[in-house]
Amino acid sequence: MTTPQQTGIEGRRVLIVEDESLVAMLLETILEDMGCAPVGPASTVDEGVRLAQGEPELSCALLDVNVAGTTVFPVADALKARGVPFVFSTGYGEGGLPDEWRGHPTIQKPFTEATVREALFTAMDISFA
Amino acid sequence: MKELAKAGAIHADLAAVFDASPNPYMLLTPDLRYAGMNQAYLHAVGATRESLLGRPVFEAFDSGPGDKAADNVHQLRASFERVLRTGEPDHLAVVEYAMPTPGADGQVQFENRFWSATHTPVRDDDGAVRYILQHTTDITELERLRRQVADRRSEDSSALDAMVGGSVLKRATDVQAANRQLQSERNQLVEMFMQAPGFVAVLTGPDHVFQMHNLAYGQLIGHRDITGKPVREALPELEGQGYFEFLDEVFATGETYEGRESRVALQRTPDAPLELVFLNFVYQPIRDDGGRVAGIFVQGYEVTQNVLAAERQKLMIDELNHRVKNTLATVQSIAMQTARSHVEPATFAESFQSRILALSHTHNLLTRSHWEGAQLHDVLDHETQAHGAHRVLLNGPLVALEPASALALGMIVHELATNAAKYGALSVPDGRVVVDWRLSNQTDRMLTLSWREEGGPAVAPPSRRGFGSRLVERSVRHDLAGTIDTDYRIEGFTAEITVPLDRGQAA
Repeated sequence: MTTPQQTGIEGRRVLIVEDESLVAMLLETILEDMGCAPVGPASTVDEGVRLAQGEPELSCALLDVNVAGTTVFPVADALKARGVPFVFSTGYGEGGLPDEWRGHPTIQKPFTEATVREALFTAMDISFA
Repeated sequence: MKELAKAGAIHADLAAVFDASPNPYMLLTPDLRYAGMNQAYLHAVGATRESLLGRPVFEAFDSGPGDKAADNVHQLRASFERVLRTGEPDHLAVVEYAMPTPGADGQVQFENRFWSATHTPVRDDDGAVRYILQHTTDITELERLRRQVADRRSEDSSALDAMVGGSVLKRATDVQAANRQLQSERNQLVEMFMQAPGFVAVLTGPDHVFQMHNLAYGQLIGHRDITGKPVREALPELEGQGYFEFLDEVFATGETYEGRESRVALQRTPDAPLELVFLNFVYQPIRDDGGRVAGIFVQGYEVTQNVLAAERQKLMIDELNHRVKNTLATVQSIAMQTARSHVEPATFAESFQSRILALSHTHNLLTRSHWEGAQLHDVLDHETQAHGAHRVLLNGPLVALEPASALALGMIVHELATNAAKYGALSVPDGRVVVDWRLSNQTDRMLTLSWREEGGPAVAPPSRRGFGSRLVERSVRHDLAGTIDTDYRIEGFTAEITVPLDRGQAA
């Protein structure tokens, strides 16, 4: 795939919030393969909020909806406030999202490299448009 | 009359009038014993006052030995019981009842006779039924005449029949039977209404006044006294919950309203917080003869347990789905990263399978405790068993682990043991691993676990870090919020892992 977006994604910093280390490692590997720089991964919502507010030059984020038994929405709010696009990842399906976030770009676990890549492209395109 | 009777002086006169009446009268107590009777009655039944007073009526007269005797007694007794139960007069248009008469030879004979009787309650000052007054007329001759006429079927039978009241009697008998039937059906309906397992209430008028409600309805609303009250007054907690409006709508439009799994907050215990229940119910209009809505019939049943069970089930399925999807994502990650460090399909398969089995072992342990948690010793034992029972020595106190911690530690120990079997102490016959652990702090428990390899080949730090060692390090930091120190000493690899155990409670 050699699209303008792909060249545009090189070096972009992408925040990961994911409580399972193995899943976080998978996401990191996928991001590195794409040429992105993973930020985090954060294993708790508190850490996620801190990174979402404090990390410079975030281009996008991948947020696991259920992080160690709590919901990731405070991180989503912090990113929204900064205008950073993000993609939810969940095992619940879109039905697991509350009304406020329904319809937001979401990838289903387990995910393929292609779905992660396309979801990130879409999310960043939307914000850059 | 009652007032006159109280006046005292007239008392005796009334008794004399009663006694002198040509119509037979008698009085029964509520337990159906003779309390009094007049001369005409004594004449009609052929008995003396002394022989009857105080005696049970059915002992004195049992309708004789005939086939119909039991039915006759039953019919009469049922009439007395209706008076006692309802406090209303009861009429028997025709009742057949055999009376004893002394025969020519002195033997008592029974003669079938027909009677028409009215039973009237006589109440005391408190309104309780004190006596039953029976006014009875012997209609035997009339009845015989009617039957003869009917049997003869002569041309003028219908006229004569009507003349002697045959058809009137017949009609009266039919009405009496129909009334009895209706009364019994009504009683059955009321009984069914009261005992129905579902709740039932009848509301009347535009203000929905409670006319009647059954036991189940009473139970639903905490047995409050609601009869005769408008619903807004009887059940004020329903304000703002929409139900008054539904009732108004049904009354106004005449259209039935049906609620399914409808939430209602009800005051089931006085002064207690409202209780949330779920109901399936129907509001049906009741129409008068002119077709106008006169009231509303309410019926339904509580489905709270079903609704809650369905909610619990949905939560459990969601949670199961979440766990399964997360586990699949974990397996996917293991597959992808294992594939990257193995060029040969055979070694990939072996390494991948052993990691999946490591996950599965801890799952088995957790399933045994219904996912409450697992003992650290059991987790370590499961993950190191494959390398020989005496080659990995486990020493430490009982430590209960939460499911997430158990899964992470299981994976970590699996990777350490696999590495030892490939390159370290478990790669030679005499090598062994000593695992010691201890707990520090009583409240914020810290687990310190040391992994020490002995008797293996000389150790050198690895040239590059494989997936296994990255996984161990990441899992300690990320999944357990802990720290790990590794040391590639020449006499044997060591690792010291420190993990806070009570994170879940602090969060």
